[in-house]
Amino acid sequence: MNLSTSTRPALARVPVFNSTVFILGLLTLFGLVVGGWRLLVGLGPTTALTDAYPWGIWIGFDFALIAFSGTAFTMATLVYVLRREQYREALRPAVLAGLLGYIAVLVLLVLDLGRWDRFWSFMINWNLHSPLFEVSWCIVLYSAVLMIETSPQLFERLGKESPVRLVYRFSVPLVIAGLTLSSLHQSTLGTLYLNMPHRLHALWYTPLLPLFFFISSVMAGLCMAILAYDVACRVTNRERKAHIPAGLARLAAWVTLVYVALKLGDLVVAGQLPMLLAWTAAARIMWLELGLLAIAPMLLFFSPALRARRGWQWAGALMILAGVLLNRFSATLFAQAAPDWTGYAPHWAEWVSTVGVLAATGLVWYLGIRRLSIFDSDAHSKYH
Amino acid sequence: MSKAMLIDLNRCIGCRACQAVCKCSNDLPAQATRNTGSYQNPPRLSACTHTIVSFDEREEAGRMTWVFTKRQCMHCEHPACASACTVGALQKTAEGPVVYDAKKCFGCRYCQYACPFQVPGFQWGATLGLIGKCDMCADRQALGLEPACAKTCPTGAISFGDRSSLLQEARRRIATSAGKYVNHIYGENEAGGTSVLYLSPVPFADLGFPTLGKEPISRYAEAVMNLTPVTAISVAALASGLYWIIKRRDEMMQQAVHIAAQEGMAAPPPPSTSIEQDEGQEEVQL
Repeated sequence: MNLSTSTRPALARVPVFNSTVFILGLLTLFGLVVGGWRLLVGLGPTTALTDAYPWGIWIGFDFALIAFSGTAFTMATLVYVLRREQYREALRPAVLAGLLGYIAVLVLLVLDLGRWDRFWSFMINWNLHSPLFEVSWCIVLYSAVLMIETSPQLFERLGKESPVRLVYRFSVPLVIAGLTLSSLHQSTLGTLYLNMPHRLHALWYTPLLPLFFFISSVMAGLCMAILAYDVACRVTNRERKAHIPAGLARLAAWVTLVYVALKLGDLVVAGQLPMLLAWTAAARIMWLELGLLAIAPMLLFFSPALRARRGWQWAGALMILAGVLLNRFSATLFAQAAPDWTGYAPHWAEWVSTVGVLAATGLVWYLGIRRLSIFDSDAHSKYH
Repeated sequence: MSKAMLIDLNRCIGCRACQAVCKCSNDLPAQATRNTGSYQNPPRLSACTHTIVSFDEREEAGRMTWVFTKRQCMHCEHPACASACTVGALQKTAEGPVVYDAKKCFGCRYCQYACPFQVPGFQWGATLGLIGKCDMCADRQALGLEPACAKTCPTGAISFGDRSSLLQEARRRIATSAGKYVNHIYGENEAGGTSVLYLSPVPFADLGFPTLGKEPISRYAEAVMNLTPVTAISVAALASGLYWIIKRRDEMMQQAVHIAAQEGMAAPPPPSTSIEQDEGQEEVQL
């Protein structure tokens, strides 16, 4: 076993700046400048959004990022509620990615708000029927939960033991609170689209959308955990435990099977199978989502030989993540029947600010991996 | 009694006095437009144009005719925009209008997606943009006046009154002028009913009116949202129960191992160390 004492001090001597930090930092800087410009001059000059397409790539990436950040509640539930201790080592890279993901989500949401100076309005003006009201509250509360869950990584680094002990004492109720908040807002993002029966294509529109959004966030969460663990090990020169990514891939295959079976079953029950079999643009997108980016990686991950191989782990995880990303973009843009007077091609400022937010998230995570106590198993025995 | 407007397209002559007076009465700025090949101008509703008259060209007995349609917020009985609004800035009042509180709105634009009539417009040109839409002159109504458009209409194409009596009047017009109207009062049942009702000489679908069922747009979303407390309690209870059961199982297994070791018996395999066999059961519960 690779002891933390043998890798940590060596790492601390490695300079912070390298090409990864430089590139991500540069993209972050561009994003900051363009994002600041957008906040100062408004949405008109900086976006291609119109009354026909009021939401663009900010919202598409935002909703996908929420699903990806589901990695935090998925892994925490796996380790603390279902007590799968064998995955503990992959917990912290995932939870840190989840926290940073949610912060990125909040930044993108603020960028998108017309009155961003009033972003707190939902805290005093309540509408319990509004999906977006519930999502807003859950994201803020869950970010707080994630900050507490992540705090030991920082405290351990600072050598403070008592706050770490305190957090660990309440870890199970904390994780259950996080799971509850996550199951609410992950599903409610699907509920959000139930208010658009006149706009969303029938292949996507179903009263089961909340369930689909929740299940797909678990799929994405497991895949994010595979990738986060892999990168964290590589960055810290730690030996990967082969059973962790393989086991997570196997779980992802089962969850994807549930998703695909429910989705196809729902289409059959709704009598929409002919719509899927017709070779229309919408049907092609759905085939890409379900066939190439869900069923194919599912089969891949069901094969013990393939899921044991690192290259196939990356391929499968990236395919499932791409499928969930496409699903959120379909719901927001591609499968929306907008009034026919105009289209939407994102303004360059939308791209640069989005890439900036994603780069900043990656940068902070990367630095966290290199500088924080990132493998729970190192500290685990000490506090349990 | 909730108030409503009945718009009779057979009586509209396309003078657009309603469009002009709406701007004045609501203090709305002018909008720069360009010729789109029609007298219709501006081409659609927006944050600063709360009503327009659309000009639909048709051919009748070899001659070109127009159907003029005054368009504005439909003031739904169960408005999806109000149901969706994150901050409750949009509200259906008991008097009929769907009103908008600009002080609450933070410009998320969800209402634009929820509205099946594409009514709410966003101030894209503003540094800090808000939503704009017709409020059926709720301020004038509070003073006992009718909406500015209804007051101004020179041909009586816009009637203002109680919704139930306007529906009776609409039925009377269809019954007494055979062939002049299609037998459909748009807004009587659409999306759960609206407070703006239309009579037309041609099928409404030809004029771009969406074909909507009798159910409110927001029925599924509201049903799911009403389940929120149940979902939260169920998930928390289920997770706590699972945790307790699995923990108990692990402890009993450990005890069994311990006793077996003490009695010098062959120990059963230790729990949850062999990864390949024991993940299969949990994924559905995740």
